Amino acid sequence: MSAAIRAARFIPEVLLIEKHSRLGGLNSYFYRNNTLYETGLHAITNYADPGNKQAPINRLFRQLKLRRKDFSFCQQIKSEVVFRNLESLTFSNDFDVFDTEIRKKFPRAAVRFQEMIDFINHFDPFLPSPFRSTKFFLAEKLQAPLLAEMILCPLMYYGSSRENDMDLSQFVIMFRAIFQEGMFRPRGTIKEFLDLLFTHYLEMGGSLRKNCGVKKILIRQNRAIGVELEHGETLECDHILSTIGHDETLRLISGAGASQSTDLARLGFVETMYSLQHKSTPSLPKNKTIIFFNDGERFSYKNPTDFVDFRSGVICFTANFQGLPQKSMMEIRSTHLANYGKWKHLSTQPDRYSCQKQDTSRRSAQMLENLIGSFATNIVYEDTFTPVTIERYTAKINGAIYGSPEKVKDGNIGYPNLFLAGTDQGFLGIIGSMLSGVSIVNQHILPKL
Amino acid sequence: MTNEDIKNLILEIIKDIDDEADFESHDPDKALREQLELDSMDFLDIVMELRKRHKLQIPEEDYPHLATLNSCVRYLQPLLKDA
Repeated sequence: MSAAIRAARFIPEVLLIEKHSRLGGLNSYFYRNNTLYETGLHAITNYADPGNKQAPINRLFRQLKLRRKDFSFCQQIKSEVVFRNLESLTFSNDFDVFDTEIRKKFPRAAVRFQEMIDFINHFDPFLPSPFRSTKFFLAEKLQAPLLAEMILCPLMYYGSSRENDMDLSQFVIMFRAIFQEGMFRPRGTIKEFLDLLFTHYLEMGGSLRKNCGVKKILIRQNRAIGVELEHGETLECDHILSTIGHDETLRLISGAGASQSTDLARLGFVETMYSLQHKSTPSLPKNKTIIFFNDGERFSYKNPTDFVDFRSGVICFTANFQGLPQKSMMEIRSTHLANYGKWKHLSTQPDRYSCQKQDTSRRSAQMLENLIGSFATNIVYEDTFTPVTIERYTAKINGAIYGSPEKVKDGNIGYPNLFLAGTDQGFLGIIGSMLSGVSIVNQHILPKL
Repeated sequence: MTNEDIKNLILEIIKDIDDEADFESHDPDKALREQLELDSMDFLDIVMELRKRHKLQIPEEDYPHLATLNSCVRYLQPLLKDA
């Protein structure tokens, strides 16, 4: 959407093709019993005050000609990284809170942590560079294995497509986004946020086709000349920007067939949303927005052998943001790593698949209750998504939210007028993927007009 | 367009990019980017707006000519003299 808005500012004919019936991809919404539920949003990263001109969110708004004052944002209260029975670290949108926590709880690593911050502040993560292991970087820089894992836990859960490690550039982007800038959400629903963006896009002159899958990208003499839609219609164009993923794009190119950019595992997740009445849960935390937790000896971020790895995860209290109007209902969201293959296999047997989802919801709630207190007896409504759900609604291979472990940072996939943006270009999260769309349009399309 | 018109055009485009841009103490011989906290993405907007408004094609290798307000005027004057 942001790529389309950016292009529509300077190109008269821009068409956004959306396979689904709603915009937003992973960050969309659905209705049950006349209630709107958001599908994916915990929080948006990269919070910055309007006056900070160089902050990613403000650069994004300028590029899209959006006015900050048209959007109302609520910042997180505070969040936590909890390694049960070992240590916890509180952080907020004020980086000093996190810095102080680390000085207090890891005094021997305090100087090295400061050196790491200096490194991050001077590092340009957007320069093309080969994969560099963050695990090795942190081991060497901090010499504090527990602290390294506690720093990695939120960053991996909110943006690593790679098992048990992340690219150093990605680490720097995520560290800034989560710890140095921070988290927030729109005061309204994600639907209202998407509606504002979409109205703006229409005002720029762009057009949209929903429920419109692309069957093929048509290539002639190594140039994209158009697309063939699933219902048979052919559309011609000068440029294509694909945000569906790298391998997903290659699959649409005649002749590129089964080519695959990497053999590394793609990571899947399950998430359960528990809806509760506010008044029924007086003992639940009211001042914590997100808890990233680990219950094992070591933090393991890899494709689980079982359906779900309950030993670590994310808990989001969607009502716990500063200034968010209180509603009668509240939601708790729990996220864990999940094995796509096992869920996919089971999905051919709907009854067993459904039972497995219920079991996941129950076991996740038990794990959460160890950390936040009891709530399961007060659940009014719950909904669980699996990697198969993500695959169905977003067509991402293996339902992998963060896409391919190998990223194409310059968006170049071998064609002079067909480019990649979004998750597989390497900018993750809502602000990241929106900036990705903008930067690829800027880099590859606008200069060629 | 006169030199003054071109100056005003550039300032108007910048104001459109960033409505809080402060021209009070602006030095026309110093780099626009540093003075107004513009980044490379904003800078591309100046180029694209010139194209949109005056059908000017500015090749990438000429972007350095747009570094300061005065260099913009020098570079754009022959291109916009009939505008």
